[in-house]
Amino acid sequence: MKDFIRPIFKNIKALIGFIFLSIFILMASIGPLFIPLNLTSNFAERYQPPSLKHPYGTDYFGIDIFQQIVHGARSVIGLSVLASLFAVIIGSIVGIIRGYLGGVISKLLDTIITIFLVIPSFPALLIMAAIFSDKSLNIIAVALIIAMWLWAPLAKQISAQVLSIKSKEFIETSRMLNLGTPYILFKDIMPLLIPYIFINFITQLKGAMEFSVGLMFLGLAKFDPTHWGVMLNYALYQAGALYTPRGFHYPVIIMLHIILLIYGGILFAQGIEEVYNPKLRRYE
Amino acid sequence: MSILNKLLQIFIMTFLALTVVFFIVQSMPGDPAFGLAVSIAQSRNMSLDKALEIAHNIIGYNPKEPLILRYLKFIRNIFVGNFGYSTYFKTSVNEIIEKALPWTLFVISIATFIGFFTGVTLGAFSAQKRSTFIDTLIPTIFSIIQAIPAFVLAVFILFVGGVKLRLLPLGGAYPINMNPGLYPGFILTAFHHALGPLLATSIPQIASWGLAMRGNCSNIIEEDFVRFAKIRGLPDSTIARRYVRKNAILPLVASLAIGIGYMLGGHTLVEVIFNYPGIGYYFGQAISVRDFGLLTGLFSLIVIGVILATFIAEILYSIIDPRVKAQ
Repeated sequence: MKDFIRPIFKNIKALIGFIFLSIFILMASIGPLFIPLNLTSNFAERYQPPSLKHPYGTDYFGIDIFQQIVHGARSVIGLSVLASLFAVIIGSIVGIIRGYLGGVISKLLDTIITIFLVIPSFPALLIMAAIFSDKSLNIIAVALIIAMWLWAPLAKQISAQVLSIKSKEFIETSRMLNLGTPYILFKDIMPLLIPYIFINFITQLKGAMEFSVGLMFLGLAKFDPTHWGVMLNYALYQAGALYTPRGFHYPVIIMLHIILLIYGGILFAQGIEEVYNPKLRRYE
Repeated sequence: MSILNKLLQIFIMTFLALTVVFFIVQSMPGDPAFGLAVSIAQSRNMSLDKALEIAHNIIGYNPKEPLILRYLKFIRNIFVGNFGYSTYFKTSVNEIIEKALPWTLFVISIATFIGFFTGVTLGAFSAQKRSTFIDTLIPTIFSIIQAIPAFVLAVFILFVGGVKLRLLPLGGAYPINMNPGLYPGFILTAFHHALGPLLATSIPQIASWGLAMRGNCSNIIEEDFVRFAKIRGLPDSTIARRYVRKNAILPLVASLAIGIGYMLGGHTLVEVIFNYPGIGYYFGQAISVRDFGLLTGLFSLIVIGVILATFIAEILYSIIDPRVKAQ
């Protein structure tokens, strides 16, 4: 495990990305303990610019934006991490089975993967969200719905990798030693795929984040009024911001946080990829 | 034989994907004709039950009909080019598609054209300037752009261009008092109205094509035939143009078709934000008013678009790269 982690911090991109992500994770995990959330509207303080009292200013209702950002971080990060995790688990399992087994099962899985690939994810996700929008969903259910439209590309890539590993000599040896399919799958093939799966987990975060913020932005899955997507929706539609330039800082601050969080993830993923893909390291 | 085989495969894929589409939309709660029935009941002053009956007749929906029959009808209709009936807009989905698809294709194709050529040029330039400051700067900018979700960019452009500077219109594809036609004044306003969606769709594309092109070029520069060309004393510009770029761009041209296919669906939020009356805008409308007919029709159109685009990409690839054809 140490050998797996140490090289990551020697890569400058991975390090910067890690710092970015850590700040956001701290914000989400312990931030709400120190910064109370006060959602009572105070119209006297509407659209205050950033100041010492309100580091990010206030919104249309005079509510402090900084508090909302801190409290929203929890659901933004929690939801994306869960969705990405589910997608990676489904994608890896389907991909490994599809790659390793032959015959009818593999053909069937292939067809299922292709169907999920040709159905564009975002419109499908919108319909799924609309199906369940009458019921109040918890974070796990929303994450599963998002993961359902993220796993297919990964499954396809993993199955291609497994197909090429399968024909290597050491797998032949294990097979001749009669070590059994579970042993070959989890002890021989799985370890080789772990860096790849990990990179994919991080890159999926970007997709999960875009999807979840998009869903919340359209108001299709409401479970948290401070989720950044919901905030962006308020910034654009609820507060009449389209007709007054006064509250300009409100949407800009939300966007900046969304972008910084995703950028942290991208840097981290790029760094790890450079560490574990020697072909890329060559150019540095 | 192989072409026939491919066509059969596409046919089956379309069929299966449409099946999934049908059952996803069917699992949405509520009566698909309910909205239409309420408006009929109000306008003609009759009981809701009676109005519901009329509404069912209009959209060709019979609640007593078994699911499987409705499914078969849906599949048959799609294959003869009938995408269903929109209860909210009270017109056939085909009519909405006729109205909306040109605007979406207008924006998508121009955005992809700009994104592809700018991205490929900058990406190749960056790879050529390997281990200089430029090759750090360009990929960094591209990575930052990649971190911006298209709809966040769209909201930003709308705020800056539409609200702060008052340069961009806040919605529509052209002013309502103008007649669509191919005269200069109209084309000019059409571009003006499309500017926001165009920027929001082309800027992320510049970044992703650019990064892909840079990666491909960097790989090819390492190849033996490039080294050999250098040893032969060919000028750097010839090597860059004829050996590196030409090989690096081939795989990208094929994914160009797939990209356009997926953008039919991926464009939804951008069109919703700019109120731009394309396919994505109507899709968003259909979701928010629960217009089942419109939803199924547009979703089917998007899926068919993606399948066709993938098919075109495969053909393109086999034309461009003779190694694929040989297999």
